[in-house]
Amino acid sequence: MRNLLDDYALISPLRYRNIWLKLSVVAFGLIIGVSSVSPVTPLFIALSMGFATVFFGKTPPKFYLALLLAPLGFAIAGSIVILFFFGSGSEVFSFEVFGYRLTANAGGLEMAVLVISRTLGGMSCMFFLALSTPMIELFSVLKRSRIPDSVIELSMLIYRYIFLFLDVAICIKYAQTVRLGYTGLRRSLYSIAMLASTLFIRSYEQGEKLYIAMNSRCYDGKLTLLDTKRPIRVSEAVLTSVYAIITIALFVR
Amino acid sequence: MAILATCDLGYRYPDGTVAVKGVEIDVEAGKKTAFVGKNGSGKSTLFLLLNGTLKPNNGEIIFHGRPLEYDSRSLRELRRKIGIVFQNPDDQIFAPTVQQDVAFGPTNLGFSSEEVERSVNHALEYVGLAHLRDKPPHHLSGGEKKRVAIAGVIAMEPEVIILDEPLSNLDPVGADEIMDMLGELNHFNKTIIISTHDVDLAYGWSDYVYLMSDSRVIGEGTPDQVFSDPELLRKAGLRQPTTLEIYHEIERRGLAAGDRAPINVPELVDALKPPDLIWVRVPPETRKGDALNLGVMYGDYAHNCPYEAVNATVLHIHADGQAIVEMRRKGIRAGCIMIYDMGGYEPGEFQKIMTDYEIDAVGAMGKKSKKIAERDGIYLDVASGVIDKSILLALSGKRCLIITNGGMVGHALKRIRDYVEKSGIAINVGMIGAREG
Repeated sequence: MRNLLDDYALISPLRYRNIWLKLSVVAFGLIIGVSSVSPVTPLFIALSMGFATVFFGKTPPKFYLALLLAPLGFAIAGSIVILFFFGSGSEVFSFEVFGYRLTANAGGLEMAVLVISRTLGGMSCMFFLALSTPMIELFSVLKRSRIPDSVIELSMLIYRYIFLFLDVAICIKYAQTVRLGYTGLRRSLYSIAMLASTLFIRSYEQGEKLYIAMNSRCYDGKLTLLDTKRPIRVSEAVLTSVYAIITIALFVR
Repeated sequence: MAILATCDLGYRYPDGTVAVKGVEIDVEAGKKTAFVGKNGSGKSTLFLLLNGTLKPNNGEIIFHGRPLEYDSRSLRELRRKIGIVFQNPDDQIFAPTVQQDVAFGPTNLGFSSEEVERSVNHALEYVGLAHLRDKPPHHLSGGEKKRVAIAGVIAMEPEVIILDEPLSNLDPVGADEIMDMLGELNHFNKTIIISTHDVDLAYGWSDYVYLMSDSRVIGEGTPDQVFSDPELLRKAGLRQPTTLEIYHEIERRGLAAGDRAPINVPELVDALKPPDLIWVRVPPETRKGDALNLGVMYGDYAHNCPYEAVNATVLHIHADGQAIVEMRRKGIRAGCIMIYDMGGYEPGEFQKIMTDYEIDAVGAMGKKSKKIAERDGIYLDVASGVIDKSILLALSGKRCLIITNGGMVGHALKRIRDYVEKSGIAINVGMIGAREG
């Protein structure tokens, strides 16, 4: 019924790797990728991250490509504009549309390629994190980064209840659909309003129940965060270093 | 001794709805108590009163002989000792992972992090969910969620566990597993209180029953007392348990005899009068008063139950070679029930037991044992209602093996021995395997 990034992250084998290692790999990739002036470095990062996500993280390649397609679409659209309206240098090609002459020159082409490669590099880093690290693993990172406990606890509860209410919403929507609640615009609007108000009331009730549930287990203002220790393995450290060295070599070249 | 009692307990919701009125109960320590009543009879409200969530308008709750105070320290103490499992596990599970939810209670009790980890491990192991510890609750099935909710309460090591409709939305096998687990907890001296509208469950499971209707307790007693009173059941809006209904019908037809009402299928079977007289086709030279040896009876006479009928007496010769014969029957092969502790499971030994003891049927109790059986391709003839089914199989001469582990071993042994004692039918029961004795 639902297809969330978080669900893929939960089943990824990379979930059980050291989270700080994953975060530094991603941060490294983002910084180097964005500050690189040659398209080769971001493309190399994109390739490595994509390989890691699909091969080590066991994300279905089809799903991964579909995921990449969305940001890539934006990047290509933007690049076309850049290609024809920015940059200088020798003319690469040109053609005429409705009497306007559109010219692409070397500088523009270079910039367009760079934009696309940076987008790919950056997105593949973000997807690596999103598809290998479910939200529940990130709470301990939030805790370490000294964010106030109440904010973290609130976000833990919110995370849990997102799914609960998502299920409720899906059920209500289904119940409305089978009784023809979504035929025609007027009825659809009416149904969706009903869904929203019911969901609001439900969440209010759920809050009451949550309070009772927590109290009956002696709640005294503490939610636990069990910090599981996941040491970095030698093979992971070696692989990461090799990746970092090649990337830096490409970067300073 | 009563561990939890109430005295003229009454509660009215702020909108004026009376939910509990004049309730007096005495729940004994170490017993299984069921509150039975139709929807809206006040069971859930009563439970919220019992763990101090709601404060009664009048009357009081007495825990361990002392009236309940409503300051936060006493409430904390009470809630530590009385755990409550809600009907809908989604109302109870709020942490993002299974492990964190189970850890919630122990952390609140101020356990050190090692103690928290130990109690979480123990509780998850106990309900058979250790492998799902890192999962978020929305990835679990209904039965698994229920077990997480129970684990969250067990981890706090309460003396009393209250479960509101423990079997709602569970499939039969899942329901059976929960009930086995409750039996095991009870075996370790936990007081268990459940609410249900399932009369069959309350009748077969509980030691003591309260019938509730319209916010009041309208009847109480042992299950056979309460459920044998049709007038009371009608007032409560409930029906008779199926076992009891069948028993009353066959008793009325003179086919059953027993001094007490049977609470489960094996006891019902015991109550049946064996047919002493049967029609048999006899050789023409047979005379009245002759002794006939009918040999082993199969097929038309006795499906699936090999009985030897020797020295049957011919009482009457009918036309067409038919005769009425009085039988004295005896089982030709005594059935037995063996219990194997999967805690000491070893595939080689297990296979040897299967062949050496000529086991006919294997049943598994508990998630852990079922998992091992599935992994090692052990075929399970019985997967639900294991103890009752095994007794029935043993009664018809089969040799059964129950594989289980932990506290369920003792629980199963006790239940079968209780049956042997009550029915007077000697079934061989015992432990086998490395952990014998």
